[in-house]
Amino acid sequence: MTVTVLVPGVLRTSCGGASELSLPVASVRAALEQIEKDYPALYRNICDETGKVRRHVNLFVNTSHIRDRDGLDTALTSGDVVSIIPAVSGG
Amino acid sequence: MPERVILSIGTKKGVFVAEAPKTRGAFALRGPFGPGVGVYSTLIDTRGKPRIYASSCNAFFGMKVMLSTDLGKTFKETKSAPAFPKDDGRALINIWSLEAGDGKQDLWCGVEPASLFRSDDGGDSWEMVPGISNHEHSRKWQPGAGGLCMHTILRDGKRVHLGISTGGHYVSEDGGKTFKASNKGVGAGFNPDPYPEFGQCVHKIAGHKDAPGRLYMQNHGGWGGWDGPGGRRPDIGVLRSDDYGRSWRSIAKGLPSDFGFPMVVHPQDPDTIYVVPLEPPTRTCPGGVPAVWRSENGGGSWGRLTRGLPKKQSFFTVLRDGMDVDELKSPALYFGTTTGQLWIGRDGGEKWDCLFDSLPPIHCVKVAVV
Repeated sequence: MTVTVLVPGVLRTSCGGASELSLPVASVRAALEQIEKDYPALYRNICDETGKVRRHVNLFVNTSHIRDRDGLDTALTSGDVVSIIPAVSGG
Repeated sequence: MPERVILSIGTKKGVFVAEAPKTRGAFALRGPFGPGVGVYSTLIDTRGKPRIYASSCNAFFGMKVMLSTDLGKTFKETKSAPAFPKDDGRALINIWSLEAGDGKQDLWCGVEPASLFRSDDGGDSWEMVPGISNHEHSRKWQPGAGGLCMHTILRDGKRVHLGISTGGHYVSEDGGKTFKASNKGVGAGFNPDPYPEFGQCVHKIAGHKDAPGRLYMQNHGGWGGWDGPGGRRPDIGVLRSDDYGRSWRSIAKGLPSDFGFPMVVHPQDPDTIYVVPLEPPTRTCPGGVPAVWRSENGGGSWGRLTRGLPKKQSFFTVLRDGMDVDELKSPALYFGTTTGQLWIGRDGGEKWDCLFDSLPPIHCVKVAVV
């Protein structure tokens, strides 16, 4: 089973320039754990030291925000697309 | 290569670098560098080939440390930024101070929540310093308006002074292994006990290499008119120590306000110091008339430096790291404002000119002659 993680341009230097990662995982939490192993710099951009997803980073599974599903425990099935998208914020 | 004056300017929207010949006639501006996020600390490291470090407070993707090895023509991120151990429970919010250590590649870094980190490889890897970061007081410190920040790191051989808002002044006598609170005479107007052991809202501490026992502090003053519990608490804001920070006394007499943020010492004269008094409620220039105040006798008396500065309707703030002084024979002061102006005070602040008047809000200014 493989899911695709879409990486925004601003973070691609943290994963060797890849715009997509193919990961054999069954949940968002497992996807992040795999990213932490394979691309620690990318992981640090998504999660803080406590393992929480950073406040201004949104994770979507297909078109659903993970907060509207089961958060980090959101299940993934083969072919799902996980998008990492910075929030609309700033000033 | 002739010597140049280099300014690193941390702003709400990245870091800028300005360069001028030693005459300081015209400054060329480069930047902004970074992803358009706040820069609260910079370091112009003059050990060996000059390097400019800048913190990058990225609300989206976390804290970074940026490094330039070409005097601010380009910046790139170091391999890592300080980070708390995974089981610590704290997460880095901001980087407030970057200072050079002993070795050529050693760096010290004060962060929010107040903790200390060190790097021995020029910022590519970092290790938390437990003696202060896990100090028995550390979980009792509270954030001030700017956050719970470790903003001052002053090193004098094995002695290390730290300034924490709100935590107070801590000192190590063993090179940073252990620290103790050292706040005798440092007031906390916001506390039922105005002179607690720790928890003061220290804004900045400064010293001078020729007078290591002497320290100057801009503390959170502005309590002279307090009419709440405990009554007036004057003389809390501008302080001096002559015993390595063991005890402190007020040197605020003669200033229009004892509230302010920066504290700067003349590079050749430890008796000459500079502050920027602000109105406590608004934290802007008193009466809308900015002035840098100078003492030439260690705080015994104060004079106002205003030539060239606006005479009215200027309501900016100069933040804790927003002022610095260069080390040329007749030094110039520099301060940046929250309204995005960068000022130079030539001849030790006697004559002021605005170098840049529309930068983003300025958090910090550092200067070096390289």
